[in-house]
Amino acid sequence: MIAPQPDEDLVTRILGGEEDAFSQLYDRHRQRVYSTVYRIIQDAGEAQDATQEVFVKLYRSLSDWNPSKAKFSTWLYRLAANHAIDCWRVRRRRLELPPSSASEWEVLGERPTGDGSPSPLGVLEGKEVVGRIRRCVEDLPDLQKKVFLLRYFQDLKLEEIAEMEDCSLGTVKTSLFRATRAMRRALRRTGGPR
Amino acid sequence: MRQPVSRHCTEEELLMHFLYEETPNTAREISSHLLECGECDAILKDYADVVRRIQAWSVPDLADDVWRTQKAAVLAQVRQDQAIGKNRGLVSAFLKSLQSTWSYALEHPLPTLGYVAIAITFAMEQTISTFRLDRILPGASDIFAILKQIL
Repeated sequence: MIAPQPDEDLVTRILGGEEDAFSQLYDRHRQRVYSTVYRIIQDAGEAQDATQEVFVKLYRSLSDWNPSKAKFSTWLYRLAANHAIDCWRVRRRRLELPPSSASEWEVLGERPTGDGSPSPLGVLEGKEVVGRIRRCVEDLPDLQKKVFLLRYFQDLKLEEIAEMEDCSLGTVKTSLFRATRAMRRALRRTGGPR
Repeated sequence: MRQPVSRHCTEEELLMHFLYEETPNTAREISSHLLECGECDAILKDYADVVRRIQAWSVPDLADDVWRTQKAAVLAQVRQDQAIGKNRGLVSAFLKSLQSTWSYALEHPLPTLGYVAIAITFAMEQTISTFRLDRILPGASDIFAILKQIL
C-alpha cells in the first residue's frame, strides 16, 4: 500500500500547477474544514458555501503558508475559522440575531436511565446539550471561539494556536478557560456537571 | 523532589492539567496535590465531564454528491484563477520591462535623448516617404533635412 503524500508535498505540487494535488488536499481536509465552519456558522447551507470559499481562498493564499511557522493543517483550520467568523458576522447582521441568552432555555428535569440505551428524555437532553453549546459558542468573543474550536475539535495544541494567532500562550490558555467555564455554566442547567 | 501545591489549584490550572497543556513540573505538582485534595479533584472531574460533553457535539458528514458538486465548483474556480494568473503574468512582464526602461532613462538622460532622437528621425523619414508628405506639404523633406542636421 502506498503511503499518502504529506500535505507539504501536495502543496509543493499545487504551487507547481498540479490540479490533481489540490484535489487530494481537498478530499483530505474537506470534512474537518466543514465541521469547523459549521460549528461557527451553525447553518448547513451557509457552512457548505463557506467551506467552498475557504478552499478557493486556500488556493489563492497557498504561497503565504510558512512551514517553519505552522503545520499545514494548523494554518488551514485557522484560515477556515477566520473565514467562518467573518461569514457568521455577515449572517448575524443579515438576520439581526440578538445575542442569545442561556436563561431562555428550559431546564429538563431528569437524567437518562443508566441502562446504556438513551431514553427518549436522554435523546432530548442530548439535543438540549448541543443546543446550549451552540448558543454558547455563538456568544463567545472571536478569539475564545477560535481557540475553543481548534483545541477541542481539531486537536491543535495551545502553543500552536498561540503561534498562529501571534499572541502569548497565557492569553490562549485564558481564552480557552473562559470559553470552557462559560460552557460549564450553560451545561449546568441541563443537570450535567455541578 | 518538588513539593505538591499547598494551596488549592485555580480552575484554569485544573483545566490545563486535564488537557495536558502545562509544563511537566506544574503537572507533577498538581498531580501530587490532587492526591490529597478532594475539592480540587472534584472540580477537575467536573471539567473533564464538561469537555467530554463538548466533544460529543458531532457534525454529520455531507452526502457524497454534495462533496462532488462542491469539489467541481472549487476546481473550476482554481482553473479560472490559473488562467487569470497567466494573463496577469504577461501583463506584469510587460510592465516590468517598461519600468526598467524608465529607470534607465532616469539614470542616463543624455543617451536616452539620443536614442529617442534617432527613433524620431527614423520614424519621420519613413513617414515622409511612405505617405509622400512632400506632395501634401511641400518642403516637408527640407524641414526634415534641417532637423536631421540639428540632431
